[in-house]
Amino acid sequence: MFHYILRRVLATVPVVIVVALVIFSLLYFAPGDPAFIIAGDRAGPAEIERVRQQLGLDQPYLVRFSGWFLDVMQGDLGRSVFSGTPVTELIAQRIGPTVSLVVVTIMMSVTVGIPLGVLAAWKSETWVDRSIMAFAVMGFSTPVFVVGYVLAYLFARELQWLPVQGYRPLSEGLWPWLSHLILPAITVATVYIAIIARITRSTMIEILSQDYIRTARSKGLTSRTILFVHALKNASIPIVTVVGVGIAMLVGGAVVTESVFAIPGLGRLTLDAILQRDYPIIQGVVLMFSLVYVLINLLVDLSYSLLDPRIRY
Amino acid sequence: MTKNSVFLPEGVSRSRFGQALRGLNTSVATGGSILIIVAIIALFAPFLATHDPSTISPANRLASPSAQNWFGTDAIGRDIYSRVIYGARISLLIGLGATALTTLIGLTIGLLAGSSRILDSILMRIVDGMMAIPPVLLAIALMALTKGSVYTVVFAISVAEVPRMARLVRGVVLSLGKQLYVEAAISAGASSRRVILVHILPNSIGPVVVQATYVFASAMIIEAILSFLGAGVPPSIPSWGNIMADGRQLWLVKPNMIFFPAFFLSLTVLAMNVMGDGLRTTLDPRSRTR
Repeated sequence: MFHYILRRVLATVPVVIVVALVIFSLLYFAPGDPAFIIAGDRAGPAEIERVRQQLGLDQPYLVRFSGWFLDVMQGDLGRSVFSGTPVTELIAQRIGPTVSLVVVTIMMSVTVGIPLGVLAAWKSETWVDRSIMAFAVMGFSTPVFVVGYVLAYLFARELQWLPVQGYRPLSEGLWPWLSHLILPAITVATVYIAIIARITRSTMIEILSQDYIRTARSKGLTSRTILFVHALKNASIPIVTVVGVGIAMLVGGAVVTESVFAIPGLGRLTLDAILQRDYPIIQGVVLMFSLVYVLINLLVDLSYSLLDPRIRY
Repeated sequence: MTKNSVFLPEGVSRSRFGQALRGLNTSVATGGSILIIVAIIALFAPFLATHDPSTISPANRLASPSAQNWFGTDAIGRDIYSRVIYGARISLLIGLGATALTTLIGLTIGLLAGSSRILDSILMRIVDGMMAIPPVLLAIALMALTKGSVYTVVFAISVAEVPRMARLVRGVVLSLGKQLYVEAAISAGASSRRVILVHILPNSIGPVVVQATYVFASAMIIEAILSFLGAGVPPSIPSWGNIMADGRQLWLVKPNMIFFPAFFLSLTVLAMNVMGDGLRTTLDPRSRTR
């Protein structure tokens, strides 16, 4: 077991290095000269050259990469080109709303997506199954911001059940926090619910045709016990896998949804950075999200042996 | 077992094959016909549009849908219906371009990785790393590097989509490599180039076509997201994403500015996904129930 964990952790090292290389190259090949911007408008060529040397911008690619990578390992993501604020500080300021949104979304997706998939598999080839699957395909096919606009228009503007935009931290109370997150979370969750429901359905259908399910049925167990105890337990691995892989999609959705609902999170930080071409911020946010993705999928892999005792390492 | 069933993929009985064909008829036909209609709209845009898509008319701005302007007008008085009609051209073009580029690069990487152990371990480490970067963020970051144009958007989307295509092709190549007919070809002395081009490539077309339909659908969504965030094609070009971006500030008062382009985009992507699902049941024997 220990060896397996070690091997699996070591296997993420090349992935992290490739991620770092790709993201570093984005900054390296970015147009515009950071030395020029940092030195200021009135600096002469000599002054710019001095700043460039000071920042190590005259070094070759690999030297700069390793310097940058060592900084990142120590938690230094560089500074914003415009405000000079450390990127880690900017991320820390904005991470709260995004984490809230992502956590509420994941909880919502799992609690809705899995039962929908189970139901579709149980009622397979009936109108229930067909309408759930139709909903799933539609969920994939609608751009996330369109879902957001439709929801906000219906539930915030017309029915006035929930606030249209904005964000309140949890410290201001549970309901103000949650009420501002419900619509954005449904928005991001739509795609995620769709993929979870689809994988749950297809896995469950395969499992429900197994012999041990027939045995359980002939033993006289209720459908509920069979579905949730016998079948769903054995379907957990593909489901957990897709939940992990789907994080990549979820992050993209969260970035877009924040701009629809005016949530001051990492998505807004990224968008403002794009408009100003503030590459260190873009780089820092993308790097952070990618590392979170790698970490979550590592945990997913490690959870396999907990979910299925037959898997031993 | 009848003589014919030998030619069917493992685990697929004749009746199931027939079922799959019927599935092809409904899903693929529905999706396909919607796509053909959208393609016709794109092709004949100059005849279908009632106005010039970029003529501004400040006197007639923010008009609601009427007999004059079927979908209303935007903040500077451009006719939204005509913009949506012309938008089909840009959006389909970007979807098609990104799909072609992704398939070409993904197929090349996948075939190379599937044919050589050393290349496989190098290429797949790169692909794994690329896959860890959320696709929308990767496309956004790439777009931040360049000036927005149709070409750069196609490129950015393709870079984000290639890893999944490459992984799929590699998986297919590896599983085909274990098939008897490939072993037979190798033992008959066929060169590895011949094995790949003559025996493996044609048999991997099915899964690749299925994946390509999903790439197409995803590319159109990413285009819309990029344009919507202001990191896509230049605002002057009426892509569906840009038309929606124009409505961003005013969507609460003028929902028609977002509704109509969103409807066309979602319908097209839906058609693509439905067609992909239909093709998958027939072309990809590995996924019977999915």
